[in-house]
Amino acid sequence: MSAPRSHADGLDARVRLSRGTMDLDVPLTAEPGQVIGVLGPNGGGKTTTVLALAGVLALEEGHVRVGGDVWDDGRRRLAPERRRVGLMLADSLLFPHLRAVDNVAYGPRSRGVDHHRARERAHLELERVGLADRAASRPRELSSGQQARVALARALATDPALLLLDEPLAALDPDTRARTRSDLAARLTAYDGVTVIVTHDPLDALTLADHLVFVEDGRVTQSGTPAEVLSEPRSAYVGTVVGLNLYAGQGDSHGHVTTVKGGVVVTTSPTEGSVWATVPPSAVSLHLHEPEGSPRNAWRLRIASVTMQGQSARVGLVGELPLTAEVTLESVTALGLQVGQEVWAAVKATEVRTYPR
Amino acid sequence: MRYAAGWRSRVALGIPAGLALLLLVVPLVALMLRADWARVPSDLATPTVLPALRLSLTTTSITAALCLLLGTPLAWFLARSDHRATSWVRALLTVPLVLPPVVGGVALLMTWGRTGLVGQHLTPFGIQIPFTTVAVVLAETFVAMPYYVLAVEGAMRGLDPRLEAVARTLGATDLRYLRTVGIPLVLPGIASGLALAWARALGEFGATITFAGNFQGRTQTLPLLVYVELERDPQVAISISIMLLAVSVLVLGVLRGRWLR
Repeated sequence: MSAPRSHADGLDARVRLSRGTMDLDVPLTAEPGQVIGVLGPNGGGKTTTVLALAGVLALEEGHVRVGGDVWDDGRRRLAPERRRVGLMLADSLLFPHLRAVDNVAYGPRSRGVDHHRARERAHLELERVGLADRAASRPRELSSGQQARVALARALATDPALLLLDEPLAALDPDTRARTRSDLAARLTAYDGVTVIVTHDPLDALTLADHLVFVEDGRVTQSGTPAEVLSEPRSAYVGTVVGLNLYAGQGDSHGHVTTVKGGVVVTTSPTEGSVWATVPPSAVSLHLHEPEGSPRNAWRLRIASVTMQGQSARVGLVGELPLTAEVTLESVTALGLQVGQEVWAAVKATEVRTYPR
Repeated sequence: MRYAAGWRSRVALGIPAGLALLLLVVPLVALMLRADWARVPSDLATPTVLPALRLSLTTTSITAALCLLLGTPLAWFLARSDHRATSWVRALLTVPLVLPPVVGGVALLMTWGRTGLVGQHLTPFGIQIPFTTVAVVLAETFVAMPYYVLAVEGAMRGLDPRLEAVARTLGATDLRYLRTVGIPLVLPGIASGLALAWARALGEFGATITFAGNFQGRTQTLPLLVYVELERDPQVAISISIMLLAVSVLVLGVLRGRWLR
């Protein structure tokens, strides 16, 4: 279809700056058409990274190169209005006094496109997000989901080489979020620039991004495809995001993993040396008495929390090995599980995965 | 017993509260009771009132224009700066708000007077500021500008700074952002600032009489005329007062209805 693309045509950045107590050093590369999902706990530096890529904040060191153009080399910073960049934030931040079409036309107009052609382009972009009939509406007359779509249309109307989405769905209610997420996914497929989407919602990241970067405390703790990250999380935060019990420990050839906190996990797929071990919550069974038979992992733990999720319950357990179990509501009632109670948790050794740390 | 205590405290607080209200309301009622309503229109059409009315309208309009042209940029700088000096500038701005106006008049004389800080350099060119209409405008601006700047700065600070970030990424320069988004969004603040400043300028007395004097047709504004007429023909003073009261209420109504939350 087209010539092979590389980072030189896309995004090649290393964002280094300090703000307050945070010291940020985040490398990011992407090919045109790629969607990079940046995840991490709040205050970890995600938004700062985005603002630096947009040019609102200056780099102290490092570089931002997009499509072969140097936007920032740590010394000279190209002003945001001179970058081919699009920015969309959690609150859609539409200009409240302008109609939808004028919001979308604002970018082209600011970049010197004449009034008529800017409006034409704005109408086209609104059509692409399914809002052709709301062009004359003011932002306050639009629903939050529609506002988000107008904001996306506005960000794309200037043909940015880099599209930055900072928590684009965070301000929406759950129903609207699901619909807007699929609208966003559809629109991004047709976009041929690089997209960086910041989120703390794993679902956003897994459905929208083809490459994930985890930023914690100013550093990248893990990056990879969603499949890689899902199967082999490499930090406690990533473990939580993908919903696995994750332990750092030392493995031996017999399949024993001693976690750094002293607990022991047995696996049928041993890895020696410094390892990560994962236990899927759904593989944990709970018993009132010490289980007999096949499971080679059994711990006596105390129930710290019970939360419901649909037809299942997540049971937080503390003790020699902190563990989250996912069990059916029936077993919660059958076993009479209560916070503070001690139970036996069992996991088959075949369910425990290990990989080098 | 508890009910009795509630009743007592209600009386204990109610008496001073009622007194406070009376202290404010009775004078306004008295003014309206003493007005000879049938005479008000003819009083306002006398040869002494008309020039004062015209002068008040001209000078307060020029003052409002000066606030708009000079005060808006100042408010913009104050609103976007986090520098330590900014809070000092803001504190300085509030001084004219609390300063006795007559002291303001003395300060203006020290500035623009024949031997004043600036005035001494104007005298050689035959330019004399005190006791002219220009002096009236300067006095009114001195007392009114702070109201305007603080009102507009407040409105500008209320703007989400991320709006500007988004506008910039869309390709807007500083000035384009200000013209197309910043200013339009603070128009209510600008309007209420103008109304406040204008009303303050209209009522200005102390600084004006000190710095500009009381010359009919040149520096005698409505408040100064009220002061003079109270000696000569109290009924005219009352009629003018009624008009000024009406204007104040009108300004307040406009602010309340549309811009003050």
